Amino acid sequence: MSAATVAVLQFPGVNCETESVRALERAGLHAEVFGWKRPAAELRAFDAFVLPGGFSYQDRVRAGAIAAKDPLIDVLAEAAERGAPVLGICNGAQVLVESGLVPGGANVELALARNRMPDRSGYYARWIYVRIEESPCVFTRHLAVGTVLPLPMAHSEGRFLGEPGRMRDLARNGQTPLRYANSNGGIATEFPALPNGAEESAAAVCNARGNVLAMMPHPERAQDLGAVCRSITGEWASRRARDLARCEDQRLDVGGPGLELFRGLASYLKEC
Amino acid sequence: MAATGTRRTATRVAQVWVSMKADDPEAISALAVARTRLAAGRELVALSRMRLIELRGSLPTRPRLERLLHGSIQFYNPHKERCLVRTTLRDASPASASQHVVVVTERGGERRLAAERWWLHETGSNIEVREGVAWLLEFAAGALAPLDDLITVRDRRHGLLCNPHSQDARTASGRLPLPWISPPLTQDDGTRSAGPHRNEPEIEGMA
Repeated sequence: MSAATVAVLQFPGVNCETESVRALERAGLHAEVFGWKRPAAELRAFDAFVLPGGFSYQDRVRAGAIAAKDPLIDVLAEAAERGAPVLGICNGAQVLVESGLVPGGANVELALARNRMPDRSGYYARWIYVRIEESPCVFTRHLAVGTVLPLPMAHSEGRFLGEPGRMRDLARNGQTPLRYANSNGGIATEFPALPNGAEESAAAVCNARGNVLAMMPHPERAQDLGAVCRSITGEWASRRARDLARCEDQRLDVGGPGLELFRGLASYLKEC
Repeated sequence: MAATGTRRTATRVAQVWVSMKADDPEAISALAVARTRLAAGRELVALSRMRLIELRGSLPTRPRLERLLHGSIQFYNPHKERCLVRTTLRDASPASASQHVVVVTERGGERRLAAERWWLHETGSNIEVREGVAWLLEFAAGALAPLDDLITVRDRRHGLLCNPHSQDARTASGRLPLPWISPPLTQDDGTRSAGPHRNEPEIEGMA
């Protein structure tokens, strides 16, 4: 049986497609970049979809707003309705939110608003921790609840926001599979562990079925253990130190924390 | 004058309308998407974008105000942008009579704190600076202007310019409100002047 094929959608301005393809291939999947000029119908041949990070259409009007109206997203919505996995990372998450694919009702129910941070505004980038929550999300359900993953985040508009009470309901319904945390796994409530002021400390939101995930941190940038930032503490830092000590040439070609989400996708597609 | 005899400075509002000198790619994309992907945008014939900056506080005379705006990097880049200043309702409007104007602001994020710090450093005055994006829309003659279906995002087929979960939109046509995105002004007698309200078409504000 051949490996499942994953389309990595490339809108103009996207800049993380190559790393995303590499992460998918390391997880045992076949992946290819699908450019925005290709006929949308060709997208139907794929088993899963990734919307990578970057600045689609230069963030014109609002981050993700223009790409959300693209004909490719109509095909993606049909595939998501059938249960095909869709992962939006950073700008990809903004596209999924602006198109209403998460949390998945008929309407656009959320916004990824500008970061809210004390004494600063705008773009912010750092390594943060996320905690795995109880969720039907196909990308995270293979990980134990409470698992802490260090991941890099880098965005200006990453604050999940909805009508009053909506984010709380989503969290109760298992639709916030990743929440910002401290290194010990406690939910982050303050900057910088909570880097953008997201309601419910949500780093990601999925649809009720769990096959569409919009996440702000970048797992593809943490696919190598050697990439884990030296400021990170905990289990992944120990692994990094241990494996680095074993490598004579200091090349650490071992999977990092971000690869776990792509492995989750691979194992789900294997089951299907 | 205040009862103590010290000079009381009136609070004023100035609007700074900033537009690109060259074609604005953001407006071009918005127009293309609105016309091809949204039913409410089919009759749209033109769409342009401006940045609306409102300064509120004890402001200097108009010539000095314009010099400060021109000399600072906080407001606009005179090499690639042009700016129109309005301090009274009688001042020239950036929009023509046939255009609808929509101002979109980030809820809770309108303030430009860096610009306020710059102003304080430069002039010694504390002012408030707020910013929004103004979209100027023109529909075909005789066409209905289904503004809300074009402005407020509801789903993939409705709305583009404002995500109502994080942004506010105010619309107007004809004479544009002043102030528009700043809080209402308090007059000397303690009453409030007309201020900005969401979707209020026209306000007789202070001059």
